[in-house]
Amino acid sequence: MEHLINIFVKSVFLENMIFAYFLGMCSYLAVSKSVKAAMGLGIAVVFVLTVTVPVDYLLDNYILKAGALSWLGDSFQNVDLEFLSFIMFIAVIASITQLVEMVVEKYTPVLYNQLGIYLPLIAVNCAILGGSLFMQQKDFGTLAEATTYGFGSGIGWLLAIVGIAAIREKIQYSKVPAPLRGAGIAFIITGLMGIAFMGFTGIKL
Amino acid sequence: MKDLNNLFEKAKPFVEKGGKFHWLYSTYEAFYAFCFVSKNTSKSGTHIHDYIDLKRTMSIVVIALLPALLFGMYNVGYQHFGAAGMLNSTDFFKIFLFGFLKVLPIIVVSYVVGLGIEFLFAQLRGHQVNEGFLVTGLLIPMIMPVNVPLWMVAVATAFSVIFVKEVFGGTGMNVWNPALVARAFLFFAYPAHMSGDSAWISVSGIEKLADGFTGATPLAQAITAETANAPIPVDFWNSFTGLIPGSIGETSTIAILIGALILIFTGIGSWKIMLSTLGGGIVMALIFNIFGGNNTYMTMPFWNQLVIGGFAFGTVFMATDPVSSAQTERGKWIYGFLIGVLAILIRVINPAFPEGMMMAILLMNTFAPLIDYIVVQGNIKRRMKRSKIIA
Repeated sequence: MEHLINIFVKSVFLENMIFAYFLGMCSYLAVSKSVKAAMGLGIAVVFVLTVTVPVDYLLDNYILKAGALSWLGDSFQNVDLEFLSFIMFIAVIASITQLVEMVVEKYTPVLYNQLGIYLPLIAVNCAILGGSLFMQQKDFGTLAEATTYGFGSGIGWLLAIVGIAAIREKIQYSKVPAPLRGAGIAFIITGLMGIAFMGFTGIKL
Repeated sequence: MKDLNNLFEKAKPFVEKGGKFHWLYSTYEAFYAFCFVSKNTSKSGTHIHDYIDLKRTMSIVVIALLPALLFGMYNVGYQHFGAAGMLNSTDFFKIFLFGFLKVLPIIVVSYVVGLGIEFLFAQLRGHQVNEGFLVTGLLIPMIMPVNVPLWMVAVATAFSVIFVKEVFGGTGMNVWNPALVARAFLFFAYPAHMSGDSAWISVSGIEKLADGFTGATPLAQAITAETANAPIPVDFWNSFTGLIPGSIGETSTIAILIGALILIFTGIGSWKIMLSTLGGGIVMALIFNIFGGNNTYMTMPFWNQLVIGGFAFGTVFMATDPVSSAQTERGKWIYGFLIGVLAILIRVINPAFPEGMMMAILLMNTFAPLIDYIVVQGNIKRRMKRSKIIA
């Protein structure tokens, strides 16, 4: 249990998708104009990450890894399909995103309109693919660990996008220099948030 | 006084619209407002007119900072002569003078660079020069180690004034506390000058250091003791009065408490934030005390945690910054409490950071708008519910 908490805290704060790896920046910058939309997209990302990372984990361990296919028989002992992992992971992510899109469209059409193109674009959100690839790299021992990691990464991303959305709503009436309005000030905010998050680097868990 | 006024009156035609130096108008206005009182009245929008304007607010904060600053100057001298082993043979004024001469250049650099940029931006963008920097410019030297090179102070001040304040629109618009970002900037850019044992005590000109001299701050000693699993050498009364190595203004808890009283009495600093930060720190230290086990840093009693490092200074002067803290009343409790918890947490479990207060406040500055948003939405929801019941 303690082990899982460690993985969770690490993936939320220390290895934050946005502030440590700068992954998923496009939707992070584009959908962070209002807290509501940011919350919606953030929850969608949490959901997709929590589902895709364990699915990809199973895929990796029972089909793709070197020797993973040995459950089919001894003749598959030496098969290594790892070169397929990118395409397989993307396929899984795309199908889960499709599912999320259908659910969101059915139950909250307002949010669906607000998120616009960025909802289907979750499929190519680098944070999602990054989650699966980091999972592969970290070589987790159990399914529970992989799920915790996916969930934690999603929560970290959610925290980042909701945080910047609240800041951007706050500075709506500030007199930001004209050339910096919009994306420019968003980049500066992201950098300063990154400085604030650096307090967690160096923690040994 | 009258001559000065005449001078201003004489200069006025030159800087007014159509005058030769009209682009200097906000500089003129700033100096005039500094010497007398601004003649301008608000022309548009909704304004609340009150006796307590920005100038007065900032002046009170500066007054509240003075005890800690003066004590900090004395402490710089005290540490210097203590390191030389000459404390008994040096009188009070010599000690103070040494510290004064050490600290003054840092203050001057911070004010000149910061105000220079502020004036420049005011001219270019055509707004008035605000008094906000008077406090920031004093806070920056007070959270620096005494041995910091002056050009670093200049770079950090420039960075924070431009990227934390001016790009957001100047005084009152910033999301983070500029003074703290200046320190964080130096901490990450030049760690060797901002931590370690050689940063905190001025030893220049000392031929022979006293026996047993270390130069480590109590926080650094605590980390060392933690790895060695030895008892932590914190002397509560020394830390409370402030005769310990540390950043210039942060060491003396008692001088900071005087400042806190001034801020609370005049209603400028939020007592809610101070109280909840204190509460958060105590709660987290107690949790560590209970679950700490053999780790000596975790078993350190909470009253020692509160007097070492920047906890007191951050609580009173940094967390209560009216611009970057949470604005809603309930948000202030949450904001302060989380600062206290995070400060002790980072301090104890993160060996890379001797001081967690700076990072804790910056992190909560980041999330203060979110806290406000949640509190406001909660209020809206509750009132909607209430109105439905009545209807």
